[in-house]
Amino acid sequence: MSDVILQAKNLRKEFGGLVAVADVSLDVQQGSLHSIIGPNGAGKTTFFNLISGKYRPTSGRVIFQGADITDMPLYKRIHKGMGRSFQITNIFPNLTVLENVRLAVQATSDKNFNFWRHSAYFDGFIERAAYVLGLVGLGQQMHVPATSLPHGGKRKLELAMLLAPDPAILLLDEPTAGMASEQVPELIDTINAVRQQENKTIVMIEHNMNVVMGISDRISVMNMGELLAEGTPEEITKNSVVQEVYLGQLYDDVDEMAARGGQA
Amino acid sequence: MAETTHTTPNKSARTASAQRLGFVAGLRENWLYWLILVILVLFPFIIGWLSGDSPFGAPRGDRMVMRGESVYAQSILINIFALAVLVMSYNLMFGFTGVISFGHALFFGLGGYLMGIILEFGGMDPNLGLLVSLVVVLAVTGVLGFIVGLVSLRLRGIYFAIFTLAIAEMGWLFFRGLEITNGEDGLNIASMPEWIDPARNRILVYYVGLALFVLTFVLIRRLVNSPVGSVFQAIRENEERAQVLGYNTLRYKLFSITVAGMLAGLAGMLLAIMNKEARPEILNVSVTVDALLMTIIGGVGTFTGPVIGASGLHLLDTFLREAVITIGPLTIDIGERWTLILGFIFVLVVLIFPYGVVGTWKRLQMRFRRNK
Repeated sequence: MSDVILQAKNLRKEFGGLVAVADVSLDVQQGSLHSIIGPNGAGKTTFFNLISGKYRPTSGRVIFQGADITDMPLYKRIHKGMGRSFQITNIFPNLTVLENVRLAVQATSDKNFNFWRHSAYFDGFIERAAYVLGLVGLGQQMHVPATSLPHGGKRKLELAMLLAPDPAILLLDEPTAGMASEQVPELIDTINAVRQQENKTIVMIEHNMNVVMGISDRISVMNMGELLAEGTPEEITKNSVVQEVYLGQLYDDVDEMAARGGQA
Repeated sequence: MAETTHTTPNKSARTASAQRLGFVAGLRENWLYWLILVILVLFPFIIGWLSGDSPFGAPRGDRMVMRGESVYAQSILINIFALAVLVMSYNLMFGFTGVISFGHALFFGLGGYLMGIILEFGGMDPNLGLLVSLVVVLAVTGVLGFIVGLVSLRLRGIYFAIFTLAIAEMGWLFFRGLEITNGEDGLNIASMPEWIDPARNRILVYYVGLALFVLTFVLIRRLVNSPVGSVFQAIRENEERAQVLGYNTLRYKLFSITVAGMLAGLAGMLLAIMNKEARPEILNVSVTVDALLMTIIGGVGTFTGPVIGASGLHLLDTFLREAVITIGPLTIDIGERWTLILGFIFVLVVLIFPYGVVGTWKRLQMRFRRNK
């Protein structure tokens, strides 16, 4: 068994009287791809926000690489090696693709408070940014404004911004959200390539069952703020409780997607 | 796809991302700026040569009286320098960092009032007084900017703007009621060092103003093009994302707001030197609104936009306010309807140049280049 890189201990978050996350514990193994699934409103994104530091938990601890980071502000966690993406596309729309990624490289550099020299003099930043953009397949679109990329391109750009500072762990919140179905396999290939080449640990929230079952090492299932089950993809598909609560719901999802013109 | 694009883009990324120029290439790239600088340096003499007046004024007895075209033109430009520095500083905060403030006049007014009070009541040698004023203005506006910036942690967007408005209005009311500075009448600044007295040596005030203007322009350009400046723009675009990239955005906003406040203080000093007085009007919210309008008309988040906006509006103000247009039997006194006309110009500019004069020009240029 490999090392545990990220550990959630009895994490709990209450908004007023609503318990969004109810005492969830989770161990993420170094180098694994760990997916979190669950119906809408299960508390997956809130759980992510607790790990990444956007919210303080009501109770419970977050342990990252052996250190307790529960009270660490969001921006410092990035410096510790955590990278996070968002369900909705979250980029700097009016800056170029390269500048978006260059900013991500600069963020974790110790030279980021230089206010006198031109940014162009910091070779390392631009080279690293260009390398990462090549990795996700945006090498040819570096100088266009980020807003002019197609949706799939923007998701790749997010991935590049995430990879730029070379984080130890990636928290991906629905990386395929809103993507046309024919673009999904390409993004999955990119995620897989990144994982193999850069040897990253990935925690991923995902709705797309084909995606989750295909590439996950472990899957955690959440429902109503609680952790329902955890295991390998095979174990999860066979788990009767999960079938009842979540996979039953999946068929609703399929219908719903078909109604919206998408595809499951 | 991933493998082939690794190495090739590195070089093109660097060359195309920004200019890394040597001295000569830099001279060629920025030739227009250098040309304008040379014209501005020679400006008092060019006007003097054209009109036949001395740029140093007209002699009367053993001293110079400030009379003649050149001296008048200098005073207009000194006002423009002060305004342009104010508007550039506002643009650093609003246009590049995305922080909207309605209280910028406070820093501007403090520059004038603090200098006036120190010169008039400090009992110091005027030259020492000027130096002390410079230090005190930078310190006070800097600390105040820092404190106001700290509030931006709690208040965002329009709420922060309202907070700054309230603070600035308090400053305005305070100085309007302050007796030692003659309340609403304002403070006359008589004990000014002779070399920078606009009634004796206007040409030196002109060059001090020009120096402040050029230094501010260069400082802001360097700042915005530096790694810190990239973060300013990232905050403007999407502050939450900048945090999730690992930036302590408060630190950067503090920096931007503090520098903007200090520059506005210096602009206020320059205006007070030129007018030899500090009046409560320089603290009024209308100063901030003017700065905002000039930024928008010139081009938000551009380097030259604030300069164009400030000089354009000030020149219109100076030359149209007095004008009386006669078309046949119809006489229009522009001075009476000045605000109406200004409003009309503003609407027109916003319609024709939706991104400001410079911003719209840049966009057209980019589109042209892409189509070529």
